[in-house]
Amino acid sequence: MRVVIAEDNVLLSTGLELLLGSKGIDVAAVVPDQPGLLAAVAEHRPDLVIADVRLPPTFRDEGIRAAVALRKAEPGLPILVLSQYVEKLYARELLADGTGGVGYLLKDRVSRVSQFVEDLRRVAAGGTVMDPEVIAQLMAGSGLDALTNREREVLSLMARGLGNTEISAELVVTDNAVNKHIGNIFAKLGLAVSDGGHRRVLAVLAFLNER
Amino acid sequence: MREWWLAFRYCLIVLPSSLAVMAALPLLAMGVLLTAAGGLGLVVVPRMMLILRRWAEWHRGRAARLLRVPVERLEPSRAGWREVWTSPQSRRDLRWTIQHFGVGLPSALAAVAVAGQVVNALFETPVWWLFPDDDPLRLMAVIPVRNWPMAIVLGVAQLVLGVALSRWAVPKLARLHARTCLAVLRPSAADQLAGKLAERVGELTESRSGVLDAHAAELRRIERDLHDGTQARLVAIAMRLAVAREALGDDTGFVARLVKEAHEGTEEAMTELRQVIRSVYPPILADRGLAGAVIAIAARAGLPVETDLTGLSPVPAAVETAAYFIVAESITNAAKHSGATRVSVRLAVAGTLRIEITDDGSGGIDETRGTGVAGIRLRAAALDGTVTVDSPAGGPTAITVELPCAS
Repeated sequence: MRVVIAEDNVLLSTGLELLLGSKGIDVAAVVPDQPGLLAAVAEHRPDLVIADVRLPPTFRDEGIRAAVALRKAEPGLPILVLSQYVEKLYARELLADGTGGVGYLLKDRVSRVSQFVEDLRRVAAGGTVMDPEVIAQLMAGSGLDALTNREREVLSLMARGLGNTEISAELVVTDNAVNKHIGNIFAKLGLAVSDGGHRRVLAVLAFLNER
Repeated sequence: MREWWLAFRYCLIVLPSSLAVMAALPLLAMGVLLTAAGGLGLVVVPRMMLILRRWAEWHRGRAARLLRVPVERLEPSRAGWREVWTSPQSRRDLRWTIQHFGVGLPSALAAVAVAGQVVNALFETPVWWLFPDDDPLRLMAVIPVRNWPMAIVLGVAQLVLGVALSRWAVPKLARLHARTCLAVLRPSAADQLAGKLAERVGELTESRSGVLDAHAAELRRIERDLHDGTQARLVAIAMRLAVAREALGDDTGFVARLVKEAHEGTEEAMTELRQVIRSVYPPILADRGLAGAVIAIAARAGLPVETDLTGLSPVPAAVETAAYFIVAESITNAAKHSGATRVSVRLAVAGTLRIEITDDGSGGIDETRGTGVAGIRLRAAALDGTVTVDSPAGGPTAITVELPCAS
């Protein structure tokens, strides 16, 4: 897997390179800002982009804007946005195009290497990975009223990027039970079978949009 | 000579001014009578008093300059109907009209008359022969002039006497008026104290808002520094410890245990630091400003929040931070305590930043119990703002906060 990293802090970008290198992931380029990121993506055609939220010149939310712009130009380009704090608002903006291949994690998660690398692969494969803190912000809400508590639990694990087997392991239930819950969630959210693989993304998006 | 001229000019202005002030009192009385006629006096009298105030203040300035004494300027302000009668300033202004007329008119007349004798001597003596025989020119007040020798002797005598008299009298007359003018208009000790206090309050308000703004800017800088420095460093350390842990694999020895503890400790430190930063200065506020931050609060509220930010414009940093925490606290309150199903938030700037938060919950906020309203009041009070809580039992609840945005 080849990745391009947009990170202006050298301490972090070298740490990330070291960590990814130790897991056999190829870092094609490390760039410090948005123009550099656009150029590097055009040149290296990476499988995944990792971007910091705060980038030059103003160090505000350039990373979010860059991610949205990149995916507008290249729908479905997998992007993982890393940040030192998470906002549900940012998660919603990242997922708004509903095509998946999006991750949004606290930088803290990087230090759980195996989990992090797994998250990278999920995003690269078109999955959706939301930080547990975003999920916590979601679970604080009164919720998608139609869903049962169990279904909300399943949906939050889906938002974290887990597959059906992993969800059943996490909840200690059978695969069949999980499949049934997911079917119910899709039905209750009005997501038809024809939406195909995007249904999971759309379900998470519905989750993000409910208040 | 210059001194004398200044005094004379002073008297020259007092003369018409004191005549005009004679008209002021009857006019004012008429204004008061007009009150009976449909309350017109209520509008007219305060305006008249304001004109009188400015007039008196102008004379006070002139008197002070003549006497070369310092006076602090009193800002003429429009008094309401009630203040016209109750304010000591108005009473002083009315007393001044009597002084101005009673002292000003005679002294100014005398000064002009004395100086007039010099003018007479200079311009009338050479043309004494133009006066009719039955009403001849009279010099030295009473002596009629019949021939040239008489004209020259009397003319020179009147000139010398007139100059001497006016040199002696005009400055004295001017100073008499100026001194009485200042005495009548002198603010009482209580007024002076009140003026000084008002000035001090103004200074303190200004310096406090400066301090608060500097404080908010400082908090923002601290958030940046922690984000770019300490927080980034902790992440970098955690990454390296993570790689080290991976490299150690299944090793359960002393070093492996230390590395594991260091790794977990670093992770805890990151979580704690993130919470500290959020409470010091919310990062979203730095990233997206107040409008973006309010939208982000609404997004993570856990219940539907309607936001109306159309009237929002940039406010000082201290106000922005306070507004953020006030909105966040109010929404948390609504979600936690009131059982509301929806909240609406409106922010608008018009001189002050007005924050309105309403929810459809059960109301009945009891401020004596920890409901978060105390925190909102504290934050608003720090900025001299006001908080109105309208929360009847059964709801709905409306919290309105006004924060001054002195620029």
